[in-house]
Amino acid sequence: MSIEYRVSSFEEYRGGRREASKLKTQNSKLVRKKDIGSVLHQWSKDYTIFVPCNEGDTAFTVHGSRLTVYGLWDGSDINLDWYRNTVTPPKANFLPPLEEMFRFQKGKEGHSMELPFEPGVWSLESGVPLPQLIFGIRPCDARALSLLDLIFTDAYQDPYYLPRREGAVLVGLVCLNPYDSCFCTSLGIGPGESDDVDLLLTDIGDEFLIEEISDKGKRLMELTAGLKDATEDDTARANEAKEKAYGRVTRKINTEGIKDRLLSAFEDEHYWEKVAAKCIACGICTFLCPTCYCFDISDEMVKKQGARFRCWDSCAFALYTKMPMENPREEKWQRVRQKVCHKFEFYPMTFDVIACTGCGRCIRLCPVNWDITQTLRLLD
Amino acid sequence: MNSDHKMQQKLRHEAKALLEQDKVDLIIGFEAGSLKFTTTPLITKSKDDLDRLVINPFIVNNLALFLPDFKGRIAVASKGCDSRSIVSLIQDNKVSRDDLVIIGIPCPGMIELRKVEKLTGKDRDELDDIIREGDKVVITVDGKGSEFPIAEVLSDNCLACEFPTPQDYDILLGEPTATSQESRVKSRESRVKGQGSRVQSHGEGGGLQSEASPDSRLQTLKAMSPQQRWEFWRKEFSRCIRCYACRNICPSCFCKRCFVEESEPRWLMPMPRWQENLMFQAIRNIHLAGRCTDCGGCERSCPVNIPLRCLTKEMYDLVDELFHFKAGMDKDAPPLMTHYEQEEAEDLIR
Amino acid sequence: MTASDIIEKHRFLAQSNVYLPHIMVIEKIIDETPSVRTFHFNFKDEKLRDEFTFESGQFGEYSVFGVGEAPFCISSSPTRRDHLEFALQRVGKVTNALHRLGVGAEIGFRGPYGNGFPLDLLQGKNLVFVGGGIGLAPLRSLIWNVLDNRDKYGDIQIIYGARSPADLCFKYDLDAWGDDKTVDVITTVDRQESRVQSPVSRVEAGNSRLQSQESRVGAGDSRLQTADSRLLREGFVPQILGQVAPSAQNAIAIVCGPPIMIRFTFPVLEKLGFTPEQMITTLEKRMKCGIGKCGRCNIGNIYVCRDGPVFSYAQIKGFISSEY
Repeated sequence: MSIEYRVSSFEEYRGGRREASKLKTQNSKLVRKKDIGSVLHQWSKDYTIFVPCNEGDTAFTVHGSRLTVYGLWDGSDINLDWYRNTVTPPKANFLPPLEEMFRFQKGKEGHSMELPFEPGVWSLESGVPLPQLIFGIRPCDARALSLLDLIFTDAYQDPYYLPRREGAVLVGLVCLNPYDSCFCTSLGIGPGESDDVDLLLTDIGDEFLIEEISDKGKRLMELTAGLKDATEDDTARANEAKEKAYGRVTRKINTEGIKDRLLSAFEDEHYWEKVAAKCIACGICTFLCPTCYCFDISDEMVKKQGARFRCWDSCAFALYTKMPMENPREEKWQRVRQKVCHKFEFYPMTFDVIACTGCGRCIRLCPVNWDITQTLRLLD
Repeated sequence: MNSDHKMQQKLRHEAKALLEQDKVDLIIGFEAGSLKFTTTPLITKSKDDLDRLVINPFIVNNLALFLPDFKGRIAVASKGCDSRSIVSLIQDNKVSRDDLVIIGIPCPGMIELRKVEKLTGKDRDELDDIIREGDKVVITVDGKGSEFPIAEVLSDNCLACEFPTPQDYDILLGEPTATSQESRVKSRESRVKGQGSRVQSHGEGGGLQSEASPDSRLQTLKAMSPQQRWEFWRKEFSRCIRCYACRNICPSCFCKRCFVEESEPRWLMPMPRWQENLMFQAIRNIHLAGRCTDCGGCERSCPVNIPLRCLTKEMYDLVDELFHFKAGMDKDAPPLMTHYEQEEAEDLIR
Repeated sequence: MTASDIIEKHRFLAQSNVYLPHIMVIEKIIDETPSVRTFHFNFKDEKLRDEFTFESGQFGEYSVFGVGEAPFCISSSPTRRDHLEFALQRVGKVTNALHRLGVGAEIGFRGPYGNGFPLDLLQGKNLVFVGGGIGLAPLRSLIWNVLDNRDKYGDIQIIYGARSPADLCFKYDLDAWGDDKTVDVITTVDRQESRVQSPVSRVEAGNSRLQSQESRVGAGDSRLQTADSRLLREGFVPQILGQVAPSAQNAIAIVCGPPIMIRFTFPVLEKLGFTPEQMITTLEKRMKCGIGKCGRCNIGNIYVCRDGPVFSYAQIKGFISSEY
């Protein structure tokens, strides 16, 4: 099996696609927030719509903190005034935590295999037909998907991730209230970044300003009735909101030359041991990282029928690299180093782009407040 | 100067003395985290770091967790539950008492930020301040302070805590904490009315959704039919992503190789299906019988809010009921599941 | 892209789904050592037998359905095409399951993956093969490849070792290469006395003759022996390599064995004057996908499955101390 295509760099790969799809003149529309439901309703004819929703905030759970995830839109009106970002990143819509790759069975004639889904229906388990429309995706998370495209395209095309991704429409929502753990502006993305979405919405009070970013977005807008054209004043208000949001991102890292700093610190065992000391080596920061993609493959068989699955895996786990006789990353500090270097050194070496979008989940959700920005700051 | 601050001063002082007099090689405590109302473990050999040690209502991690990772003599800051976890580790031969200096913190309870968030409708980073004043807490949002009884925002496991003062210590940083459940419940009853103009008071029925008792969730669960309960856990465990934070944050989960990762035989598939996720917790809980000190770490660390304490607390109570055993109380006692007494049989096997 | 485009794309990718294995049939099994077995296998679909091509050093993902997948190199030579071979040590879940299979059993196979040995670089050069234990498997694919095109290469030296005489793999190959006057074979064991004494794997006293275990299917002559002149030496491979001291002049060393052997072999080669570019190895890492996606086999920014498994020492030097 020969290698089909090597991705040389993020810019080249995405640049080509963006040139092809990006619109020369951007067109903006306006929709009243309370009409979003009817817009989604129109879109739902062609797309399966995912919207941010709260799970786990039931009357039962004492913990009121919002467990926001992308859930199937139930057809009701939605209000996203409370929404900041999801706990589970949207990569889960393209690289699910668990997916069946194929089924197999043993019969009289030997083994046979089949894919577990009907064409057009991606996964029987969720019954989700393609393509997906992700409503309210944050610019950082949309960038993360662009970064994942690289690894799933490079050398061999992934037959599960890519079709989902290519069909999907991303409707971005400018992030007006970033968390204190966010540091997207250090990674060249702002809360109003439009590069990776098809449409970009900005909350300007009672209305959303909708910018058409890509061809896909434009086509979607052409199918949508009941929208007003935006005025210059609306655009100005949106720009002002974006700028304000940009200023709200106060956490910073220094990405200048970070690849080289990590390269020279690679063998500094003392440094890595020190920064890794309090890490508990759980999978939160990697599983919930929008750019982490590692997975495990395992089989299951009952009687003569079985299936091969893939599920998320994490470089934080000691068994991840364990071979029968050796384990190259037995020590916790080696695994912490792998995580940091993969994002800030190895990905840049391969694709000339940092595999971090500054979404801050790894800081926000860490049980011991292990903070990657602090770790990197020690190298400045 | 509140008691946390006094304890903090004393902690820094004692830790410095321990290092200076070469009584220990390593200090494990807490320092301010990088986010609001967050602390992070401080693990250091350097005297210069010790002024960063803090004690406040957010020192939630159970530091016993780190003890088996390090060699040498260690001084460790320890709340009531942490100290019991340490004793439990000693019982399991994971650490030696002789290598430890336990700096005890008489614990007034930890503030559960998720409860604060529910109470205020704001995320933690949108709050200006959370200040504990005895039995009250003042939460400031957008410059406006509101006062609540502390019981509204303390962690469930803290509200249910039987031994807030460390059971075993070398140095105690303050007066032993008055126990516990009764006094807190009492303080809940006598809700404090607002004082001063800055502080807005919330009276009874002021829209607060606090729990009647720290174990009310458990009671609700127990009142369900088995089918309802099964459905409940099916739903909860469908969210589990198998990040193993609950296991890795737990000092009692000290196994170098967990059953869940064994491939020969394969006890459980590595994939996050609810059945497997539930089995993982069920088996983990059995392994924790007689080791869990109800520190609340597993539930607190869960990124998808699975109410894990409903399982661990039930096991904690069962262990007490069946074996009259409380974890981490006596370092010389054998671990619960390694010995057997004749009279246990009748109760256990039904 | 419309929904129907997606379905079309999905169909296309499904047909060429890189994760779907081919069904293979095991044709023959050879016991190499108490824990290593060679399997001869072939495509169940006869059409694919002719279409399939690979290079020495490339690997495949082999599955036992219901148990899982594991990567092994193709140990046969592309110059000998009537069947494929792979050899594996029984160490884990999948390898145990494979060892339980018999002739006629079906396995899954996908590949070939990885880069293979750089034949154009090797041509015209003197070749020094340094192998340890089951590390001879990828080397033997290359050695037979080279021997089948003997006139394209210079001198050939093979230094191969195992823990004990019973642990020597491919004894029939060692014999055949020993009989070849154009090849210099040096065989060594860490200890002469076999740790696991088994009647068929002892070293006969006096003439140091080495016997293979009785193979289940009898690989030709079931009592293959090393030639008289091949004395079985005692000592670790890097040690023996230092004693044999092959010249670095116009030479390339190809090293494969357990990581510990590789680590100690490179310094010896450097001492002998080999430059990092003159040293080639094939690495083993834990792998799942085999195609550079699942993440675990990296050394720095290199994925062993996608960019390797064959590397020059120059390529991996920076990482070898701490991550390999």
